[in-house]
Amino acid sequence: MARKPQDNPQLDMTPMIDVVFELIIFFVVTIKQEDLFSKLNVNRPAPSTSKEESSDITVNIELGNAKRNNPNGVIVYNKKEVSRQELDQNLREIASTSKKTPIIIKCQLESPHKVLVDVLDICYKHELYSVSVFTL
Amino acid sequence: MARKPQQNPQLDMTPMIDVVFELIIFFVVTLVEAQKKDDTIELEDGRNGIVLVPEELPPTHMQVDIGLRNGKARISMGDIEITPAEITRRAKERLKKYKTFPVLIRADFAVQHKAVAQVMDACAEAGVWQLSFMAVAEDKTHERKRLKRYKK
Repeated sequence: MARKPQDNPQLDMTPMIDVVFELIIFFVVTIKQEDLFSKLNVNRPAPSTSKEESSDITVNIELGNAKRNNPNGVIVYNKKEVSRQELDQNLREIASTSKKTPIIIKCQLESPHKVLVDVLDICYKHELYSVSVFTL
Repeated sequence: MARKPQQNPQLDMTPMIDVVFELIIFFVVTLVEAQKKDDTIELEDGRNGIVLVPEELPPTHMQVDIGLRNGKARISMGDIEITPAEITRRAKERLKKYKTFPVLIRADFAVQHKAVAQVMDACAEAGVWQLSFMAVAEDKTHERKRLKRYKK
């Protein structure tokens, strides 16, 4: 009862094509789309250094969490609470005079990390790269 | 001079098997094995930041993760929880070896500044003043997840 290959010369390709498609689908599904990441550089002065402003012209931005449950945090610039758009405007003006203006960001302990990254992002948008982060 | 298929009924499978193996190997190789890290971290957007190319990071770099576990900050390296004192010790060791190395802080968007300050101070104590925060330059998966977490 041995098979005679000569009787059936055409090989059935269907199962192989099935398997190949299965493999392709498997890999397409398992490959995850990756995010593209960025980095924002900051200076962190030693904890012992005084938090007083130096004599240079600096920009102070304070970050806080005025309302306990505000997930977006609060930005204070020039002793006034500002929105991200307003800060964007202000930093644009500063950058137009000098891009080397040191920026000092003071963060309250309870402020969410999100607000710090947002402010850093705005600084980078206007190419203000000398940013220091203090903790209040 | 036409070929007569009947005379050569056995199809040679070797090239096809070769191609299939080639494909399998290609996909296995392109799937870069993910680095060990805290997978729960959702980063904030930073579209204007310097684009980070993982391959270009020097192997000497130090990455510190700050995630959230049950509302509490969890500082880790390579997904192993770590104390700020340990970060200082490791940073000092690295400084001795390499003189300079980048420090990358990968902190969750919702983590309180308190934990970030701890990590920054730990590095500053070792003599590393320049730090980088990781953010998302181009969003493909984060935003959706982040919105989900906001709703909670």
